[in-house]
Amino acid sequence: MTRNDSPRDDSRASVELSEMTLQSQDTDIATATPTREQTDRIRTTEAKSQGRLIRERFFRHKGALAGIALLALIFLLAFTSIGFAGIPGWWNKDYDVLADRFNEGRPTLTLWPFSLGEHPFGQDVLGRDYFALTMRGTQTSLIIAFIVGLVAMVIGTTVGAIAGYFRGWTEAFLMRITDVVITIPTVVIAAAVAGIVAKHGIIPFALFLGAVTWTGLARLVRGEFLSLREKEFVESAKSVGASSARIIFRHILPNTVGVIIVSTTLAISSAILLETALSYLGLGVTAPDTSLGKAINDNRSALTVRPWLFLWPGAFIIGIALAVNFIGDGLRDAFDPKQTRVKQ
Amino acid sequence: MSTSSVIISDEQAPVGNGPILAVKGLGVEFNVDNEWVMAAEDVSYEIHPGEILAIVGESGSGKSMSSMALLGLLPRNGRSSGSAKMLGKELIGASQSTLRRVRGNDIAMIFQEPMTALNPVLTVGEQIREAVEQHTELSPAQAKKRAIELLRMVEIPEAERRYDSFPHQFSGGQRQRAMIAIALANDPMLLIADEPTTALDVTVQAEVLDLMRKLNKRLNSAVLLITHDMGVVADLADHVVVMERGRIVEAAPTAQLFAAPAEAYTKQLLGAVPHLGSKVGGVLSDVEVVDGHASIHEEYAEAALRAQATHTASGVVPALELTDVDIEYPGRFRQPAFKAVSGVSLTINPGEVLGLVGESGSGKSTIARAVTGLIKTSGGKVRIGGTDITDLSARQLLPLRKKFAIVFQDPAASLNPRLSIGESIGEPLLLHEKPGRAELDKRVAALLEDVQLPVAFRNRYPHELSGGQRQRVGIARALSLRPDLLVADEPTSALDVSVQAKVLELLQDLQRERGFACLFVSHDLAVVELLASHIAVLNKGILVEQGSTEQILKYPRDPYTRRLLAAAPVPDPAHQALRREQRSALIAAGAVD
Amino acid sequence: MFYFIAKRSVISFFIMLAATTLMYFLTISSGDPFEDLGETNGPEKAATIAARTEAMNLDVPPIPRYFLWLQDVGHCLVPGGISCTLGQDRTGAAVLPQLENAMGSTLRLVVVATVLALILGVVVGIVTAIRQYSVFDYSVTFLSFLLFSLPLFWLSTLLKQYMAIDLNTWLANPQFSYLTIALIGVIAGVVWAVVVGGDRRRRLMVFGVAAVATALALYLLLVTGWFTKPGFGLLGMLVSAAGVAVLWTALLAGFRRRRVLHAALAAAAVSFIGYLVSIPLLENPNWFIVLALVVVTAVVAYLVAGVVGGPFRAQAAKIGAVIAVSVGLLIVVDRLLQAYPTLSAKAGGRPIPTTGSQSANLAGTFWEINLDFALHLILPTIALTLISFATYTRYTRASQLDVMNQDYIRTARAKGLSERTVLVKHAFRNAMIPITTLMAFDFAGVLGGAVITEQVFGWNGMGKMFVDGIDHVDPGPVMAFFLVVGTAAVLFNMLADIAYAFLDPRITLS
Repeated sequence: MTRNDSPRDDSRASVELSEMTLQSQDTDIATATPTREQTDRIRTTEAKSQGRLIRERFFRHKGALAGIALLALIFLLAFTSIGFAGIPGWWNKDYDVLADRFNEGRPTLTLWPFSLGEHPFGQDVLGRDYFALTMRGTQTSLIIAFIVGLVAMVIGTTVGAIAGYFRGWTEAFLMRITDVVITIPTVVIAAAVAGIVAKHGIIPFALFLGAVTWTGLARLVRGEFLSLREKEFVESAKSVGASSARIIFRHILPNTVGVIIVSTTLAISSAILLETALSYLGLGVTAPDTSLGKAINDNRSALTVRPWLFLWPGAFIIGIALAVNFIGDGLRDAFDPKQTRVKQ
Repeated sequence: MSTSSVIISDEQAPVGNGPILAVKGLGVEFNVDNEWVMAAEDVSYEIHPGEILAIVGESGSGKSMSSMALLGLLPRNGRSSGSAKMLGKELIGASQSTLRRVRGNDIAMIFQEPMTALNPVLTVGEQIREAVEQHTELSPAQAKKRAIELLRMVEIPEAERRYDSFPHQFSGGQRQRAMIAIALANDPMLLIADEPTTALDVTVQAEVLDLMRKLNKRLNSAVLLITHDMGVVADLADHVVVMERGRIVEAAPTAQLFAAPAEAYTKQLLGAVPHLGSKVGGVLSDVEVVDGHASIHEEYAEAALRAQATHTASGVVPALELTDVDIEYPGRFRQPAFKAVSGVSLTINPGEVLGLVGESGSGKSTIARAVTGLIKTSGGKVRIGGTDITDLSARQLLPLRKKFAIVFQDPAASLNPRLSIGESIGEPLLLHEKPGRAELDKRVAALLEDVQLPVAFRNRYPHELSGGQRQRVGIARALSLRPDLLVADEPTSALDVSVQAKVLELLQDLQRERGFACLFVSHDLAVVELLASHIAVLNKGILVEQGSTEQILKYPRDPYTRRLLAAAPVPDPAHQALRREQRSALIAAGAVD
Repeated sequence: MFYFIAKRSVISFFIMLAATTLMYFLTISSGDPFEDLGETNGPEKAATIAARTEAMNLDVPPIPRYFLWLQDVGHCLVPGGISCTLGQDRTGAAVLPQLENAMGSTLRLVVVATVLALILGVVVGIVTAIRQYSVFDYSVTFLSFLLFSLPLFWLSTLLKQYMAIDLNTWLANPQFSYLTIALIGVIAGVVWAVVVGGDRRRRLMVFGVAAVATALALYLLLVTGWFTKPGFGLLGMLVSAAGVAVLWTALLAGFRRRRVLHAALAAAAVSFIGYLVSIPLLENPNWFIVLALVVVTAVVAYLVAGVVGGPFRAQAAKIGAVIAVSVGLLIVVDRLLQAYPTLSAKAGGRPIPTTGSQSANLAGTFWEINLDFALHLILPTIALTLISFATYTRYTRASQLDVMNQDYIRTARAKGLSERTVLVKHAFRNAMIPITTLMAFDFAGVLGGAVITEQVFGWNGMGKMFVDGIDHVDPGPVMAFFLVVGTAAVLFNMLADIAYAFLDPRITLS
């Protein structure tokens, strides 16, 4: 919490100050007991950068921490087990190899004593290892969700920023486009888009999904820009002749980071659900690729006899979405200091 | 309580000689991040019937929270301790149902911000009526009658019609009157007024204070006045309690406190309050009301006019010259454009400070923004150092921007929260002079020194600074390019008085040292008097009068200027009592003229 | 107001036009309309190709084809329009009759789900805000995050597979062991204690009362065979009417004014008399009769409550009307429940259906048919409601918390108003202002969700039209679906704006 105002102050340029403040606070440790005079000085100069405050608030949010842990675990499991992009993983079975079914293909996973067994998540109707298949589906779903989130963030931020800053006809035009896209329910427009691109592989599919789900973010960013552009610090920058680009990138955008990050996080969680829903409708990921939604769709008729084929991918979808939602909630609290948690 | 206009009043416990409210050892704490933080401690005072007790203090003194605690209205994370007895009945720790019977019935409150303190979706009448219904057995129809009665009592015109208006259809002063009507609905023994006039313009403030004084006399209830404004205290209070950082510093009768403050903090506080008329020696001193007509010494007035004319035409190139400036806010579809400023002409010579004075909505901030090229004028010319900037493109204006700078009102909003102080101060330099890193560093350090801030502050972020420090940063930033003209838009109105005094002093020193011209926009005449050599008075977008500070303060010609001057309370009870009389005489005369 | 609607309609028209363009071209470029014909050859294939080309105007280039479709839509906009078909699907059949068939069930599902989610979400959201940082608040927060994260199709499938089957089995022989009854009682007690909160003593008391009451009620219902032959009965209706009266009074007026309570009870009596009188009328009515009866009762209750209310007539009359409508609703529910035994028998003792939107060829009374609709709605509605419920609670909670921190709430408390008045009169209406905006967005979301639920539950609704249309690259049904969905979304947006202006007097519609 404490830091010394060391001589570094005068020697470096102010342009890098923000990073420096962060670093200096990380490395400073309050070891020696400070004298009375020092404490006073430290108290008055005690400084927490905004980044640090945000981090502190975030790490106080237990749900968000649990979310991060869960998401990291799922990531790790999905990408190390069956490997990724040609790099082999520690799991010895492939998701597309047919085999005989042991014990009706029931899961061999036992928790106590812990053992994975031959087919921890069981086997599907064709005898394929369902663990490997689920991991593969998780990889695909995660990749799609993150690409969708990023594309939506880029488009949404750009459209929202331009509309909110320049106002006038630009705004009217961009916002009418947004209205047009918003009028079509996401599932519907995504289904139509999926019909066009899904067969070309998961990356184009994800890019196009991102291209139709940016509208909410655009509205939010526009709202932020509308309010921030009236702030006195923006006028102050204008009065010294800062260019529009400088005002947008240096003055307004950094102040909307919170909103953008939070909504991107939530966009990722809805992208997971959207992708799985589309795949379930048969409009999303197509063979030879697989995703969590497709795995469920492929085995929908098996629910009564082999519920594990249905439950495992579902559990992973919920796990990912829940983790991302909690992270989003933690970020929202962290970025919005109004919501400090007060215990009664 | 049996005045003619009040038709009903419920039974009240007989008020003996004892105090209505006796507060003893009151403490308030807040839980912030699981730590109890003290907001007020060991607060003790008494209020007697008919008395007005003022609790004075700067922000963070705990004056407001210690009063909220009386009625159990603290925010959810607050708790209170100690004792507060209303006619012997303990309030601290009392059950909610007990407190509910006290609230609005025995003790009523009015709040600072009448816009947010009234429910926007309910009519004003409804909000008064429910206060009546809550504590009486009146039928809705009777309660409505009483509510209209109350609206009339607080001097709302056309009370029957206005009963059905929503708060947003009231003006700021009317809203505060409505708040007072709610508070008086059940003839409370004690009225707690939390900064009742802070959000109001001076002329409206004077009216609301008059109203409160009148009602206090008529209803013989006591008033607990919470305020930071020494002028308001001098105008209204019988007793004063001064608070600092949650503790009572001094308590005394008003006259005694102002005449001979005992504690150092009180002295410092009183010393920091700008006293209207201190420089020119008396305000409105040459305005006399004879036979119901206000008059001034004609010779003085003519001399002043001549002086103003020579000043305008002195031959030097003015630092700022406005000629017949009109500013319109463009209308939307189906709405006509709003003319914020029309036909304003004024001149500031190099090295001069002109105070631009007006109430909210007068267009003074609009002019400040037009002068700095932030908004376009729709007519007239704005010349800065002889160059007309009204028709310049952004590119043409860019080199000129070095010549002027602006300091904004709200220091919290005028600094980018994501930029360090060093970056904020350095931005104009970076844009215009493109200095090297070392050079920029040196200049920023020098500027911080100029505004008396430690150099180490450059690595801080705005939220780590206090309001006064932020405003100093704003000034450093404005002065970074050594402008010829500084526009200061209410630079101290968001600050506490002691901080304001220091910032004003700094501004004065810098102005003297660097000799820039300054357009000082303010609603506070006392502050303007301290700084400005000339004053221009704006009313509803029109410049009603301008002249030297002495002329405007001593013998203003315009009735509006006179009203404005008469309305501003001075921190001196005896003097303020005289000024009150003068004001009512002037208003009477104004009505005739 | 009129000007606002006119202006918005014009804007909405152009937005819809642009959206249809987008949708049309996305649909026709989403694949090959002959893909399903595969590699096979033969005269049949050629014939099918020719027929489809003819029906879908495939010989016309895309842009004029879109205008042809627009022309078909235009026919429907002309008053007394000729040949309003909304185009043809790929088999050459007119789309409009298909849409008319499909629309009813889908809209029923969407409207019921939206209304339920709105009511439940708002109520729970407000309670969580009042009891911020309580166990209840945290539980609901976690629950809503879980619901946010549930894939709709997965939830629907689970409901269909497990809940429906188990419920049907139980309903065939509705019995619980004493242990189960006690357990349900304990769970109910815990839930109530958590919801109501308060200090330890109060929570224990609430727990005790709720647990015993629930267990006792459940026991009585079981031994009287209520679950095989449900309904309120005469006494039940009387008690319910009185209960409704007391509840609404508590919520809307409080008990400080006795006359208001008396007026409410009078309204309940009027409603009960209405119930008795209407028994013969309601054997096999239609919606018009039901609605008329409710309106008549409400008017009578309004007048009677107004008279009894005396000086408080304005408030009392309103509460009276609300009570009458509520009791009317109870009567409808009662009638539907009474139809249960016969319907259950007709359904072969497994009353909760898992597929379709209605039983085929069901012949029965008005109540039986509507109960059939309702039972079909149960599962998909639960699925859809749960998802939007999460959104509504979160937003309501945030909005209510925001309002509770406003100055005017402090003013209301400073007047000495009761907590009920502060919450209902001062906070609620303000908290609802942002919810109106959410409603418009959520409605579009629920419509999209309906596509998925219909798929899972095998409904022949608009969702199926859409999915099949996309599958077949057949723009006719897809665009018909979109016309309805888009219009509904645009309409809801406009309604939300009007509601906004209605709630917030600072906003004027222009």
